Amino acid sequence: MISFSRFTLDNGLKILVHEDRSTPLIALNILYNVGSKDEDPGMTGFAHLFEHLMFGGSVNIPDYDTPLQMAGGENNAFTNNDITNYYLTLPAANIETGLWLESDRMAGLDFSQKNLDTQKSVVIEEYNQRYLNQPYGDAILNLRPLAYKVHPYRWPTIGMDISHIERAELDQVKDFFYSHYAPNNAILALSGNISDTEALELVKKWFGTIEKRKIRKKILPVEPHQNEARKLILEKDLPADAIYKAWHTVQRTNDDFHTLDLITDLLAGGESGRLNTILTRELKLFSEINAYITSDLDPGLLIISGKLMKDVTFSEAETALEEVLTGLSSEKGLYDEMEKVKNKFEATSVFSNTSILNKAYSLCSYELAGDAGLINQEVGKYRAVDVAMVMSAAKKYLRDTNCSSLYYKSLRANK
Amino acid sequence: MMSDVQRLRPPVYPVGKVNIPEANVLNLKNGIPVFIIESGTEDITRLEFTFRAGQVREKEALVASTTNMMLTEGSVYHKAEEISSMLDFHGAYINSSYEKDRAGIVIYLLSKHLSKILDLGREILFSPAFPENELETLMKKRLRWFLVNREKVHNIALDQFFESIFGKNHPYGRQAIEDDFSSIKPSLLREFHKLNYLPSNMAIIISGRPPVNTKELLEEFFGDLPGQELSPGSEVLHPRGEGPKKVHIPRKGAVQTAIRIGSATINKRHKDYPGLKILDTILGGYFGSRLMKNIREEKGYTYGINSLVTSFDLSGYKAISTEVSTKYSRNAVEEIYKEIDRLSNEPVSNEELNLVKNYMSGEMLRMFDGPFALAESFRAVWEFGLGNEYYYRLAERIKTISSDEIMELAQTYYNIDDLYQVTVGEE
Repeated sequence: MISFSRFTLDNGLKILVHEDRSTPLIALNILYNVGSKDEDPGMTGFAHLFEHLMFGGSVNIPDYDTPLQMAGGENNAFTNNDITNYYLTLPAANIETGLWLESDRMAGLDFSQKNLDTQKSVVIEEYNQRYLNQPYGDAILNLRPLAYKVHPYRWPTIGMDISHIERAELDQVKDFFYSHYAPNNAILALSGNISDTEALELVKKWFGTIEKRKIRKKILPVEPHQNEARKLILEKDLPADAIYKAWHTVQRTNDDFHTLDLITDLLAGGESGRLNTILTRELKLFSEINAYITSDLDPGLLIISGKLMKDVTFSEAETALEEVLTGLSSEKGLYDEMEKVKNKFEATSVFSNTSILNKAYSLCSYELAGDAGLINQEVGKYRAVDVAMVMSAAKKYLRDTNCSSLYYKSLRANK
Repeated sequence: MMSDVQRLRPPVYPVGKVNIPEANVLNLKNGIPVFIIESGTEDITRLEFTFRAGQVREKEALVASTTNMMLTEGSVYHKAEEISSMLDFHGAYINSSYEKDRAGIVIYLLSKHLSKILDLGREILFSPAFPENELETLMKKRLRWFLVNREKVHNIALDQFFESIFGKNHPYGRQAIEDDFSSIKPSLLREFHKLNYLPSNMAIIISGRPPVNTKELLEEFFGDLPGQELSPGSEVLHPRGEGPKKVHIPRKGAVQTAIRIGSATINKRHKDYPGLKILDTILGGYFGSRLMKNIREEKGYTYGINSLVTSFDLSGYKAISTEVSTKYSRNAVEEIYKEIDRLSNEPVSNEELNLVKNYMSGEMLRMFDGPFALAESFRAVWEFGLGNEYYYRLAERIKTISSDEIMELAQTYYNIDDLYQVTVGEE
């Protein structure tokens, strides 16, 4: 059970505080409700590029990192389809340094051409390192546009084409800031060695006078229902064949979300998951295989990806995979396995509560999904999933006509 | 908008003395040492069994890692699937850990399941079956993983770097090749297990909030194991750098070049090591480091660059690593040497030294925050025969080191002629 207090400032900034006196540190998390789904299709990758620019200096502070390090702090950030999230930890006595830094860059950035040019180049190298210079690194770049035809989830956070980053201009940067970065579009959490009254007072002091801004309205196209199996085969110089399959599912606030999450745990949660037990161990068709669900605010995907063993054909591998998925529509083995994955889910949630950073982020993330209090309901909701729900969700979502399949075919003779 | 007066920088308070809880030490009746570090707010336990059974103990490549990975692939009582189901059913996470010097397993569990998990842990560690069929499957999988990893410039550079600085015949430096994956037989693993996975070669490290009867449970499941004599190991072979100082491995079409520059150096037992840690932090050990500032934030050649100093039993090593745009690889290498050179020739400014000192003081709080971090920090000194006095010494060095001392350390330990350079990429 995570106890927390919740406040809202007059300018719309939401604040969550969790007190944990077992640590000498405080974690500060700020979530901005802007992600790659809010980008213009001609300007993708911008939310993530912007995350880099947020470290390039603000109105009163020329360099973000130095004062933080001077106060013994450590920080980082990430961007995904829905959000941009910034986080740091500091010795408790120095928390004001963190609030000073974060409030200053919320109040206004120092937009400089030099910073933009350098960070464009850093992001291009990030793209090269993570997506182009790794075998299978571009899988997600190919899978998303296959699964989504109109919704902005069709492009990855890094952007659908790196030329979009190359073209980014300073005016667009300014416009992006003022239409998305604002107290009324952010959620702030403090977790660690601080009381809620002290936290509120300090946040008010540093953020209270930043004015509300007009946030660009989210008008997101609804992805039309998929009703045909989609396939894409790519031939590449790779050491092994690989398969990626994606099924449309639901948003994380949907009633079926926990059932689908539990299904991916039955399939691939831990060494004893069905995919590993049957396809890797027993039939020796895959060298590795994984399943997960994207936890998105708009309808997301259930993704299964695996690399084939030597001399295994796509059709053998896929037929066996389909059989495992069909198995979810039968009660056989389900009761015991469900008890197992529920126990594991509960344990995982306790483990993640040992980190003040995790707690601060989770509070923000659940608040964005509707209510920070959901953090304490997750285990119960997951426990409430029953066999009938699993069987019916498997039938409903894991259909061939709801699936996009991407095949990497190795061109090597002796693969 | 708030006036600038109100936006004045808040004062920074020095980080107080780090408070490191001492481990509770006990010995089981057969002599197995147990270290218990009580900490945290949740009823969870981190349980580590560690043996001197790492790569350094193997004669053929892959034997130490495979022995370790096969522990959960079937015991004389249970099949692999049964073992993993039992662990998953109790919500436990198991990590096999195989390193240069040590190997073992780490299990994260809810404290209420400790008895069950200790029972299973004993079985996994001391009654493995090394079944032929599972071994064959594992080696086929490992070969596929290996082939995928050998496509990554980062991994190729890492393997070659260890070979260059430690020598290709030393277990620290030896690279696996494709054929090694077909030569591992159950008998090799049984022999390695028999020699190295012995109660007399083991320690148990526990952190979190273990149940009150932990000591009794440990006696029950581990206290009666026969304490065998350790076979005297063969003569210790010392790692030595060999081969050309600069190696380039061509990868046609790579859009980035992986760079690794460094050498063997002193390890944690040496008195200069804490100072070397500070020097390394200045160079590339944090986000504001000189390498990051120059090569990423000024020039945009890379997504990231860092340096590290770390310790193995027989040697330490230091390394700078990065992946940079192919077209800038030459400039990046040049800039790296410039930064190394600067350490020996130019005193660090007070401002920069203070920054690093403050950053590292904060880092020391993070190193002991929570049961998982505490156990890792404990092991990181225990395996060198050291205790918390190492950390207090490090904290003291952080507080007192001068820029002259930093320069002297650089002159002693960062001689450019001693460094090995590995690049993997185009041209």
